[in-house]
Amino acid sequence: MSEKGHHPAPLSPVEQRVAALEALLTERGLVPEGFIEEITRRYESEIGPLNGAKVVARAWADPEYKERLLTDGTAAIAELGFGGPEGDHMVVVENTPAVHNVIVCTLCSCYPWPVLGLPPSWYKDPPYRARMVREPRALLAEMGCPLPGEVEIRVWDSSAEVRYLVLPQRPPGTEGMTEAELAGLVTRDSMIGVARL
Amino acid sequence: MSTPLSLSDLDLPRRNGELVFDAPWQSTVFGLAAAVTDNAFGGDREPFRQQLIKAIAAEPGRPYWESWTAALEALVAALPEQPAP
Repeated sequence: MSEKGHHPAPLSPVEQRVAALEALLTERGLVPEGFIEEITRRYESEIGPLNGAKVVARAWADPEYKERLLTDGTAAIAELGFGGPEGDHMVVVENTPAVHNVIVCTLCSCYPWPVLGLPPSWYKDPPYRARMVREPRALLAEMGCPLPGEVEIRVWDSSAEVRYLVLPQRPPGTEGMTEAELAGLVTRDSMIGVARL
Repeated sequence: MSTPLSLSDLDLPRRNGELVFDAPWQSTVFGLAAAVTDNAFGGDREPFRQQLIKAIAAEPGRPYWESWTAALEALVAALPEQPAP
């Protein structure tokens, strides 16, 4: 990098490794021009939890859509134009007054990209991955989502080919809202299952 | 309506959206894995996922994107010598 005069900071070891990978893969013709910039832009500004919020709002507003969503998540999500990597086998799990669902990937970081974007850092960290399976009720309470003892917690491990999305309960008092207004209520964390609305 | 709270040991986000990459090398290595998946494995993400699982299991405390980098290095090391024409 010294030939670029304007880049005085030395690269860290991991930056050097990534630069070496980039050089090697580019030389082998595996990285089309502009590919990295484009995919970064898409995941930073286009593909994110707003997609999932639209799916949830549609399900709240349209009972027939909700039924399709719970029967075949991938197809129903595709109806709204969302699909792609990490979204081939989507299963939507519905929260009810008696059941609370939460998603985790115990082995790595599998996550429903088309509807939630890339996972937040805590989702990928060992404490969440281990504790959500071992002691979900305690962890959810620590995360600001305490649940009454009678509510059953179902933990869905995304480590198979399946990617899960939680359909949160529609908040009371939202009966008159439009679908767009409803979408504005839906948070990423509620679709992971670490928050309730 | 409850608001998600922060948890010190998990560094929970407070907002619905957060920056997904903390540094340019992270987005680069993310994009490189996607490029290899698309162009050397026909879009099949499983080979990379298996390497990522191994990399995380090998050093559970390592920062996530460093494990991702190690996984990509292992995947690339196993590629055939010559690229497809």
